[in-house]
Amino acid sequence: MEDTDLNSLRRDPSPAFAARLQSSLHEQEKSRSHAAWPRLRAIAAPAVIVIIILGLLSLPAVRASAQSFLAMFRVVNFVAVPVDEGRIAMLESQNLDPPHLIGEQIQVLEDPGAPIGVVSPEQAGTAAGFEVKVPTYEPANVTLATIDVKGQQRLRATADAERLRHAMETLAITDLEVPAGLDGQTVDVRIPPVVRMRYERGGAPVVEVLQAKSPEVSLPDGINLAALGEIGLRILGLSPIEARDFAQSIDWYTTLLVPIPAAATSFKQIAINGQPGVAVERVRRLPDGGRQFSSSYLWSQNGQVFAVNGSLSALDMLKMAESLK
Amino acid sequence: MPGRLARWISAADPDWDAVYADQLPRVYNFFRYRFGATADAEDLTARTFEKAWRARHRYRRDLAAFSTWLLSIARNVAADHVRARRPFVSLEQASDVRAAGTPEEQAVRNSDGERLAALLQQLPDRERELLAMKYGAGMTNRTIAIATGLSESNVGTIVHRAVQTLRARW
Repeated sequence: MEDTDLNSLRRDPSPAFAARLQSSLHEQEKSRSHAAWPRLRAIAAPAVIVIIILGLLSLPAVRASAQSFLAMFRVVNFVAVPVDEGRIAMLESQNLDPPHLIGEQIQVLEDPGAPIGVVSPEQAGTAAGFEVKVPTYEPANVTLATIDVKGQQRLRATADAERLRHAMETLAITDLEVPAGLDGQTVDVRIPPVVRMRYERGGAPVVEVLQAKSPEVSLPDGINLAALGEIGLRILGLSPIEARDFAQSIDWYTTLLVPIPAAATSFKQIAINGQPGVAVERVRRLPDGGRQFSSSYLWSQNGQVFAVNGSLSALDMLKMAESLK
Repeated sequence: MPGRLARWISAADPDWDAVYADQLPRVYNFFRYRFGATADAEDLTARTFEKAWRARHRYRRDLAAFSTWLLSIARNVAADHVRARRPFVSLEQASDVRAAGTPEEQAVRNSDGERLAALLQQLPDRERELLAMKYGAGMTNRTIAIATGLSESNVGTIVHRAVQTLRARW
């Protein structure tokens, strides 16, 4: 047997099948654009923005020459911050949103690659390096469909004071100043592997459970996180008083801010298994007049962060979250 | 996650129809090698793409990563398929295949491809899966190792052993 024999089973799919499937995928695309899967990105993207704000804007205020990473940020608490989606859209249109502000200053030290599919929580745990928790409660007809693991990611961000100053001027933030010595400072961000378990009902995705060890941000010594966080909050649209109060009242070394689009139906601080977290519930109006409900629960426990996102009832979502064992 | 966000900054949507045309034969042949040249290959391929298409925009810039991710979905679809039904070849059929060495029996088989498909079904599940990834999907030992969690050398050993088995029965 030669290699040519080993390859002899290969065939091109029939043109009829290829065309039929492609047509089906296009139809699926059309129907999905109007319906079902909750807009997780609407929540995930702002959360990412805050991580970056913490990473980039939370730079040393006084010790410009200090390059040793002595301070460390780890997620212990989640706090929701209402943010106007119109404000985000305006920032994006003027290239003043955090991704544009810092995008060119991000260096990827370690690329996570594509998520790898695994067949069991145990295998996911082996790949991710921690014991994966599984919901012991599953709503009726909801079954685990896929598990994948996204690898570790490490980034290095370098601050550009001039760019930030320009953004503040454009947004008429004149009562705050960019800390001296900001320019060129670097922040290392490490996002450990993330395990995602996706559940389906009748073949349609309805909920996903994500878990990971807490992300870490290594910061230069001598920073004034509250002052720099205040700038970030102002960019996101909080009023001067709100931003000042918020910045002064939280522990920036352990708290991950989750900007919640103001269009969200509701959000509240909650406790899941005794741990502080955030619940976000959204109702989206569909073109046909119907409404699409979705919700997200974020919390941390024992050095790990968890998220449950989906379109099940709030009660089922919360029961799944609390049943993680 | 910031990396994902950074990718959104400048990435333009690729030509998904071209991606589809490129990836369809890989997935389709993965299933042909995995389960034999049956109509199931089309069904399983369709299921894989339907699952993947919902989330494909996450990988709009890194199409190499998309390819690996697509195969990971195909593997899960295959695992579900195995759980949902009995093996394609019964023990009786397996005996027939192993005994198919006479010219008369060989004449029944009209191509080497069919012979290979039949012999593949005799292999242990893990070996069959790795051969499907290597020869069906055209993956390297390295990408197979990443996808399966095995070491690259372990992948090479298993594939070599499986090919030796096939050669012995050819």
